[in-house]
Amino acid sequence: MPVVDVDPDELRRLTGHEEKTDDEFEEDLFALGLEYEGETEDGEMQLEFGPDRLDRLSVEGVARSLRYQYGDDRGVYVPKTNDPDWTIEVDESVPAERPCVTGAIARGVNLSEEALDSLIQLQEKLHATMGRKRAKGAIGIHDLTMLKGEVLTDEGKGDNSVTYRGIAPDGDRFVPLDSDAELTPGEVLEEHPTGATYRHIVEDYEAYPAIYDELGLFSFPPVINGRRTEVTADSRDLFIELTGTDQWTIDRMCNIICYALDARGATIEEVEVDYPDETFVRPDFEVDTKRVSHDRIEGMLGVDLSVDEVVDLFERSGLGADAEAGTEGMGGTAAEATGGAEIEEAEAGVADAGVTYEVSVPPYRVDVLHPLDLVDDVGRAYGFNELAPRYPDVGTVGGRHERSRLEDAVRTSLVGLGFEDLLNFHMISEDENYRRMRIEPGEAVVGGGEPATITEPYSEDYTMLRTWALPSLAMVLENNTHRAYPQDLAEIGLAAEYDPEKNTNVAEHRTVAAVLARHDATYEDAKARLQALCGDFGAALQTPPTEHPSFIPGRAAAVVVDGEEVGVIGELHPEVLVEHDLELPVAAFEFRLDALA
Amino acid sequence: MRLPQSQAAVLETASATEAQTIERLAEETGRKPETVTGAVFDLRDEGLVAVEERTESSVDLTDEGRTYAEEGLPEIRLYRAAVGAGADEEPVQMGRVIGASGLDGPQVNIALSNYARKGYGRIESGEITADPDADPDEDAEAAALSAVAEGEEVTDATVLERLDSRGLVERSERTVRSVTLTDEGVTALMEGIEAAETVDRLTPELLTSGEWRDVEFTEYNVEADAAEYRGGKVHILRQTADRVKDVLVGMGFKEMAGPHADADFWINDCLFMPQDHPARTHWDRFALEVPPIHDLPEALVERVRTAHLEGVGDDGDGYHSPWSEDFARAVALRGHTTSLSMRYLSGHAVGELEPPQRYFSVEKVYRNDTLDPTHLLEFFQIEGWVMAEDLSVRDLMGTFEEFYRQFGITDLRFKPHYNPYTEPSFELFGRHPETGELIEIGNSGMFREEVLRPLGIDCDVMAWGLALERLLMLMYGFEDIRDVHGTLADLELLRETEVIR
Repeated sequence: MPVVDVDPDELRRLTGHEEKTDDEFEEDLFALGLEYEGETEDGEMQLEFGPDRLDRLSVEGVARSLRYQYGDDRGVYVPKTNDPDWTIEVDESVPAERPCVTGAIARGVNLSEEALDSLIQLQEKLHATMGRKRAKGAIGIHDLTMLKGEVLTDEGKGDNSVTYRGIAPDGDRFVPLDSDAELTPGEVLEEHPTGATYRHIVEDYEAYPAIYDELGLFSFPPVINGRRTEVTADSRDLFIELTGTDQWTIDRMCNIICYALDARGATIEEVEVDYPDETFVRPDFEVDTKRVSHDRIEGMLGVDLSVDEVVDLFERSGLGADAEAGTEGMGGTAAEATGGAEIEEAEAGVADAGVTYEVSVPPYRVDVLHPLDLVDDVGRAYGFNELAPRYPDVGTVGGRHERSRLEDAVRTSLVGLGFEDLLNFHMISEDENYRRMRIEPGEAVVGGGEPATITEPYSEDYTMLRTWALPSLAMVLENNTHRAYPQDLAEIGLAAEYDPEKNTNVAEHRTVAAVLARHDATYEDAKARLQALCGDFGAALQTPPTEHPSFIPGRAAAVVVDGEEVGVIGELHPEVLVEHDLELPVAAFEFRLDALA
Repeated sequence: MRLPQSQAAVLETASATEAQTIERLAEETGRKPETVTGAVFDLRDEGLVAVEERTESSVDLTDEGRTYAEEGLPEIRLYRAAVGAGADEEPVQMGRVIGASGLDGPQVNIALSNYARKGYGRIESGEITADPDADPDEDAEAAALSAVAEGEEVTDATVLERLDSRGLVERSERTVRSVTLTDEGVTALMEGIEAAETVDRLTPELLTSGEWRDVEFTEYNVEADAAEYRGGKVHILRQTADRVKDVLVGMGFKEMAGPHADADFWINDCLFMPQDHPARTHWDRFALEVPPIHDLPEALVERVRTAHLEGVGDDGDGYHSPWSEDFARAVALRGHTTSLSMRYLSGHAVGELEPPQRYFSVEKVYRNDTLDPTHLLEFFQIEGWVMAEDLSVRDLMGTFEEFYRQFGITDLRFKPHYNPYTEPSFELFGRHPETGELIEIGNSGMFREEVLRPLGIDCDVMAWGLALERLLMLMYGFEDIRDVHGTLADLELLRETEVIR
């Protein structure tokens, strides 16, 4: 989950609440869903929160939320914007894999070192979350004064423009950030540390993304900016560009950046984005609306609220809400239109049943997919912890799953027979599952099923699902040779194998495995216990001789329960024992749990 | 007076005037010294005998000392050989003397080092001389060695010390106990002692013959530690799971079951997890190298796809993320058991469900996550949900309060949280019964309409999840689950772990 570092002094300044202590902030932030994780070396608060309110990824955003929470601000705020002076031209050559671009200009921003750090942090956090590590969206911020507008040949599009285009990997040279050398985009990927990090995103593109002004290439998204336009704490006018795979995503990322800069005193200026077939004006600060009923809010929170209260809660969430009376018994007139007369009636508590709210959602919100998300905001503003818990008055009958009852019953029997119940991983390596037990994948013996292998294993120890459990128990014996004997171990757990007949292509079953490791362990010891176990479940056991490479020839038998072959029993082969560093005999059995059903 | 046989025998043999050692009493009563010792202590506790203890030191020859006592000390053998070779007149070549002495191995060095020390002669540049005035018969060490061999006492402590340092004798100390009858003992004897028959074991013969009535059972040291005994035990995590299942069944929940390897559709898409969600990237999930799932319910797939791309309801927006059916069909190990909830809620596990319903599972999930004390690559997830008409956040809170109260966790707090599949969502915090700390105990929420509507559910469903390992750790003080789960488990730890009540 995202963690954002916030300087409590900045927070006091930006919220205008100089009197708040750090502890009070902690408490207030918990209610917003931001958890205090600790402190950085510089005394900043580390706040962790769910990746929904990405507009809070900076101290500016957190301060904005707190001001709403405190009731200092209400309703939807949209910064004023100036008309466009700059154009982003989108050339036909842009890579098809990264077709979208957007941008904005911020003038007169008041950047201190702290504010610059905060801006860089916000940019990084947005990259990590919404931007999907820059693959879906990447932000470049430049010092506007270092850009020179390209005067366009076709008139009427403003004097100042930059161009988003695609170029060959060696199509041009520029000096990237943190470098002194002029490099081609291809060389950046090879030689620059940042290039190495993001290389995987663009290396298969037919053309590399590049942004030009009149002086040449100044940004190589999503990898790195040019040094020429580097932003410093002295920069006052900023040019923001974003490229990506989805227009909505980069537009919203752009909005979040613009709101943060607005909080730093900047004036946002629009830019025109000229695609070959259409033109957008950005940033897109249009306020979205969604409708949610009063009933839904009351139902979800389980409390009675007046319309006024609900509107207040919306506004304290930074949302706008217009209450509209419902059609039932209200004459179908919207309260808004009639000056709120019905609303007053609604407040009396009788008629709020039909009320619906038209809720306006500010353009920095990226998490509102459904009206229910607005109910959540009301709940947060109300304070979920203010709600009194109640046990739902709903009667249902509980019960265990048949298979889990059977598993417990067998486990109880095994423990009664003296076995230590073990719990091993379902993932194992092919070496452990097959070779060390002297069998091979596809062999027609217990454990010889074809493996369901893991595409990208965490380590070479866990590359497949185990096809049987005896290898796990043999490993436990191997790792416990320094512990007291006898070691009588059993496990009931999952085993699985590749099976194209199954819907998921994996056949899963629960298996019962047991080993008796003691200086005088024999086949008979294992069989005595297996007999007792089968007896507990009224199952008829037969053990016709069989051959299995894991067991001593002549001392292995098939486990046949109620006429069906379900497993194997015998004395482990000396080669298996030596392989597992065991210096005493081991008698063992394994069979399918469902045989005892 | 009636006494156990061995005590009666000792009492009768002991004398009031002459102290007798345990050994002597053992000899005279024909019993083992340890039996007599036990009897003597018992009699002393009864006040019938007095026991005097003194420490006796003894000197015994070591194997090496015994050899020299028989063959002579090596240096003396060397001297005699040297004199025989005429070294008392002029230096003789060493090799010849050693050959004549019959010394070999380490004895040669022993002989040489003691030869000069005792003034038998000198050894220079490979030649040996013998002092004609030396007299091996006057050698104090040789004399002491013979004395020890004869069982005589050696009075010269310095010589004895020397023999000890040469490793020829072994000195030891032991406690000698002497026993005399007390006045009470004499009185008891005069009044008459009757020896009871004692037995070690109650045998079938004693029982059937009725003889058990006439015997006395030897007393055991009932306080002594017995030999270790190890029975089997249900695994600590299974015990914890059973406890959780008990609680949930008691609260009206039914248990779910289903595949560990499943289509991403059931694991993630039904849950309204966008396909480009970080948790769905290849390094967080365990994809299996098997062909995609054969069958998915087509109508459901279409509804889920639409929910992702367009949202649900008039004002619903979908995700601005790509959605591909191929990805949905890919098979992986489930990262949460919510895949089971999806199968059940969709009606594909046990048929269409009508509200109200409560379901749970305590089963394994697989995450390619950072390993820590509570999270291995495989761990158990407790998952539960309640389906009913008109559930509110308060019902969710009430349910969890009840559940956690069963484990002593009270004072629940609900931190608003974000999950792609629930809204509102809460991280649950509660007060630890012992430490009083506020601890995170689970994740919960009301399933989103984007989850429920495609599944065909029109009422509300609230759900929560929690790692079983976390509960084990919190409730039973377990610190590191890695010691008990997996093939590196320590059997000793498993055997010593307390059971869960």
